[in-house]
Amino acid sequence: MMDCAQYRRLILANPHDPNPELRIHLESCRDCTEYTERLLRFESRLARALHVSAPAESGARAVPLGATGANATRRAPAPLVRRGWLAMAASVLIALVAGGALWLASPHPSLAADVVAHMAGEPQAWQRTEVAVPPAELALVLRDAHMRLIGDAPMVSYARSCLFRGLKVPHLVVQTDMGPVTVMVLVHESVSKPVSFDEEGYRGVIVPVPGHGSLAVLVRGQQAGINAIREIAARVQAAIVWTA
Amino acid sequence: MNDQVGGNPKRDRFQSLCQRLRPDLLRFAFWLSRDRALAEDVVQETMLRAWKAQDSLLDEAAAKPWFLTIIRREYARSFERKRLVTVDVDELIAREEPVLAAAQDQELTELRAALFKLPEEYREPLVLQVLMGFSTAEIAAELNLSNAAVLTRLFRARKRLRALCGEDTHLDPEE
Repeated sequence: MMDCAQYRRLILANPHDPNPELRIHLESCRDCTEYTERLLRFESRLARALHVSAPAESGARAVPLGATGANATRRAPAPLVRRGWLAMAASVLIALVAGGALWLASPHPSLAADVVAHMAGEPQAWQRTEVAVPPAELALVLRDAHMRLIGDAPMVSYARSCLFRGLKVPHLVVQTDMGPVTVMVLVHESVSKPVSFDEEGYRGVIVPVPGHGSLAVLVRGQQAGINAIREIAARVQAAIVWTA
Repeated sequence: MNDQVGGNPKRDRFQSLCQRLRPDLLRFAFWLSRDRALAEDVVQETMLRAWKAQDSLLDEAAAKPWFLTIIRREYARSFERKRLVTVDVDELIAREEPVLAAAQDQELTELRAALFKLPEEYREPLVLQVLMGFSTAEIAAELNLSNAAVLTRLFRARKRLRALCGEDTHLDPEE
């Protein structure tokens, strides 16, 4: 049986360690539960601290490599062996160098912007389907957020553990009357009040979940109204059971 | 507008990969070097080397560790080229203040400054774990350490960082 010192040594090394022995100890130790909650709050700040501004590339910045200002004159370019290679490499660098100047100037993206940006990486998640994620697979994903779903939860057709602002969070897609709806369980991201957004072709809400961060719920396109999305968010929130 | 990238699928695919990974690569290089300008140089050089060696990237899913390995080598080379001297950490913090300052969040600014004070041997695995999402085994492979050594460094990193940030650490375990 693991004791508190062993538990804390492991959790300090990896606050998201999936080791079941950690879970067993946590369920029976109030002190370590409080310790873990404090550590996870610190971990959330740490993830945000490491996430310094860096420009998201659009790929459309066509700036000649030789016209990159101070950054280009900082030191001589590396010797290149072939002109063809140079041309291709230069085009790859266009966005890189142009973006560099914007690194510091870019505002830190909002939570909603980060959620929307995350959507671009998983377009396959938005399929309309009647096939549910197997319960065991869903349970594994939800474990990242110390939660499970019961009762009136909409059918979950997609479930992945995704890296978001440095931490693994459940990324779900539920099937509803208005089509697929994405739900991200952001246990480390607190919002003081519900926030609606309509960005980059996605419409959604981020709602606070007292003591457990927030839920981001969003749809693709502009067909669904914000109130309907809020209802889905409320339905999902009501179906969540927090296990820690 | 984007006619430069049409017609060469190999180049387009690689460019797309670079664009997708670039923000995280820049962040990693920044936390490794604690120097924005050096981070930009290292990432730029990394992209050039990566382009040249792209045939050795057999699986795009493994692109992130592949790029990180190149970044680490480039960072080490930058020491050889420039004969970088040790700089006082308070000077580094002052120099990079525009990056470290978090609007309306003094705690975050202080945490970033504390990260600057962590020794590289603790800072690097922490960044790989928290920012890059690497598992313990992946960090061990990248840093050529055992899993146990990685866990020890991560434990010490968080312990030191929490102390530097004035967190209540009286319940933290001893080693």
